[in-house]
Amino acid sequence: MSASQPLANSLHRATLDALRRQAPFSAMTEGEVMWLVQHLSVTYFAREAVLLEPSADPPDALFIIKQGTVSGATAEGLTVLQLAAGEMFPLGALLAGRGAANRYIAATDTFCYTLAAADFQALLAMSPEFNDFCTRRIASLLEESQRAVQAEYALALDDDSRFARPLASLIRRAPLCVRPDTPLADALAAMDAARVGSVVVTDAAGAPAGILTLKDVLARVTLAGVPLDMPIEAVMTPHPATLSADLPVADALVLMARQGIHHLPLVSGGKLVGVISEKDIFALRRLSVEGITSALGRTDDPARLPSLTRDIGDLAHSLLAQGMDAENLTAIISSLNDRVTERIIALESETDPALAGLRWCWLALGSEGRMEQTLATDQDNALIFHAADASQHAALLAFAQRVNARLDACGFPLCRGGIMAGNPQWCLSAADWQRQFSEWIDHGSPESLLHASIFFDFRPLTGDAALALDLRAWLNRATQKNPRFLHQMAGNALRNRPPLGVVRDFVLSEDAAHPHTLDLKLNGTTPFVDAARIFALAAGSPQTSTAKRLREAAHTLHIPDAELADWNRAFHFLQLLRLRHQHAQQRTGQTPDNHLDPDTLNPLDRRILKEALRQARKVQARLAMDYKL
Amino acid sequence: MIWPFTRTHPPTLDAARSARRDALRKQAVDLKRPLADLRWVVVDVETGGLDAARDPLLAIGAVAIEQGRIVFAPSLEIGLRQAHSTAPSNILIHGISGTEQRAGQAPHAALLDWLEFAQGSPRVAFHAAFDQAVLQREVRAQLGLSLQAPWFDAAVIASLFFPEAARRCRQLDDWLAHFGIAVYARHGALADAYATAELWLVLLAAARRENIATAHQLQKLARARRWLPAH
Repeated sequence: MSASQPLANSLHRATLDALRRQAPFSAMTEGEVMWLVQHLSVTYFAREAVLLEPSADPPDALFIIKQGTVSGATAEGLTVLQLAAGEMFPLGALLAGRGAANRYIAATDTFCYTLAAADFQALLAMSPEFNDFCTRRIASLLEESQRAVQAEYALALDDDSRFARPLASLIRRAPLCVRPDTPLADALAAMDAARVGSVVVTDAAGAPAGILTLKDVLARVTLAGVPLDMPIEAVMTPHPATLSADLPVADALVLMARQGIHHLPLVSGGKLVGVISEKDIFALRRLSVEGITSALGRTDDPARLPSLTRDIGDLAHSLLAQGMDAENLTAIISSLNDRVTERIIALESETDPALAGLRWCWLALGSEGRMEQTLATDQDNALIFHAADASQHAALLAFAQRVNARLDACGFPLCRGGIMAGNPQWCLSAADWQRQFSEWIDHGSPESLLHASIFFDFRPLTGDAALALDLRAWLNRATQKNPRFLHQMAGNALRNRPPLGVVRDFVLSEDAAHPHTLDLKLNGTTPFVDAARIFALAAGSPQTSTAKRLREAAHTLHIPDAELADWNRAFHFLQLLRLRHQHAQQRTGQTPDNHLDPDTLNPLDRRILKEALRQARKVQARLAMDYKL
Repeated sequence: MIWPFTRTHPPTLDAARSARRDALRKQAVDLKRPLADLRWVVVDVETGGLDAARDPLLAIGAVAIEQGRIVFAPSLEIGLRQAHSTAPSNILIHGISGTEQRAGQAPHAALLDWLEFAQGSPRVAFHAAFDQAVLQREVRAQLGLSLQAPWFDAAVIASLFFPEAARRCRQLDDWLAHFGIAVYARHGALADAYATAELWLVLLAAARRENIATAHQLQKLARARRWLPAH
């Protein structure tokens, strides 16, 4: 038995390979994971055995679940979390050097890896990736899920069965290939001349024997200081994954996602016939933001608009497939929806002589006001005007009602609560809006607070924006003068708790209409939106987007950057889940909603969802602290 | 207890190895310690055939269980250098090629490593009689030692605690499947020893449930079991 680091044997190798299939080990260096493996031991817990008791002393080991399920319960016996294979605990207690708060019990027969606390600390110090994961779990998990989401969405994009066509259809040129003994200098020069990102090394029979990509060159040639007269076979990736050119495009996507590769040699009869990259696959999309925007601008016939709004949904899906993040995606959806609304307003107002010379502004409210629209979105709008006599008022109202009806025809259903510009209650002069807002601020009834949460996210969409900007400036002064109102808003917001587990890992609805689901909007994104609104009003910020509001508030409230980044990631992950869920519903002819059954998520997304809801709790905790609630 | 065995003429060891061998003579395994504290060594051997008396020993894989935990390092994986490689038919079973067989460690060095790894601990294997016979034979031939370390057969203990399942379970794979134990690529000596060790953890938990406090009690139970009819 040697005291120094033992040599790696097949058990260490196999364990390393198994661990490296999951975050955070996939991002760590092989040396770090091997060090971990050689400090691990494996323990068995029969169902109902206790792994860890709540205690005043810091835990003496980290548990990584190898196989099985572990539940965590409070000292009162309330089950608060459920952990599956790959999850680690008790991270918080180990990091903070405090006792574990929960009792951990094997929910099924379970095998766990254990790592002694001192070794855990050593690994934290050794591996920046591991450290980052433990301290900022949500960020690491999100990156991990990105590629999986891309592949999944691209596969679902079957509107013209572009992913069912053969891979051969993507080949644009003869493949760049060299022989194994080609000096690196020649191979790199050929890549540069052909402007390609990879070169395939073929044997005498023309079969792929290796591949070298530009990314490999950096690590294996440049940084490694390999001389350029070295034959390419010394640094190539040998035995590259290949696919037969007659297989469908979808197979390539799956293979690329699974193996984490971006270039794939195609073969026919064992011989290289082409190389495709991820870009070739994603370039298949036909819709673009520019395309839809210019089509909207050219349309003079309102009857054409509904088909263009359907294109917005398709574009959103295609952008999801390319892995666009939710912040940009919801902003794109919102701005395209703005363009639709602007076009409708232009068509309706230009032809109406009664509106000539009037100063008015169309206000976007709610999620559109925040630039956070998803696919399930009804109308939330209002109208502000400078001054108008009775007949002018009637003309404005009639105009707003025509716009509401047109929007309805374009797939933005009329608001069930009647929050629309065509409702006389919400088509008001600047002075009347101030009176209305004052009443809500002073009154503080549940109804006033609800109205405030919708209307205070207003944003000028088209017309005389100065009317809206003046109202915003006035509103910020009014709320800051009335701390009681913000206190009431905060109390109201905290009544909506993120549905993190009592019985299982999530609290699910018992509502007969949506059994076994959680409401991603009400219970997921709303806590962030509500908190951000209060932070912004308190700080007098003109921002309406949740992410921007949180960013500004973080500065004023001295919230650390890392915490802010986690809030925004969590919020946008929840938005992304809403988008994915709604698109799946649209594709199967259902009306999009926000009721998600978490059992339909893959294990990774479930973990991120849990983490995102934990972040929602953190935001609420901050709100509670600020308002002493 | 271990004593010298002199009938054959083992290879002459150098001074350092002689000292290591001599150190192995004085060791005792205390089977009356509490089960939870006992160190176990779980082992699997690969041989050139199924004849424990004659077929060559190709590889030894072993892991230790300490304080109820399988420890990943140190663990033992040794290929033994062979004078001749075995018949091609067996290479298919073990996946140890002729080249690998001729590489390996010298047998006496490998067996010293094994005995030092296992020193003072009861041995566990699946169908242990085979592993025990092969290892004892080689230790005698290569080191001139004969040892009486206690061996436990995971197959016997498993059918003792789970008689119902034993009707269906014969091989290690059957028991792993029965307990839903997912294991890595199998059929290397170390991989099989590790899989057996996971099974042994399950069996130790079952022993605790049956209020068996020591390995000595477990041994008595296993011996009694021999007189019962096999399924």
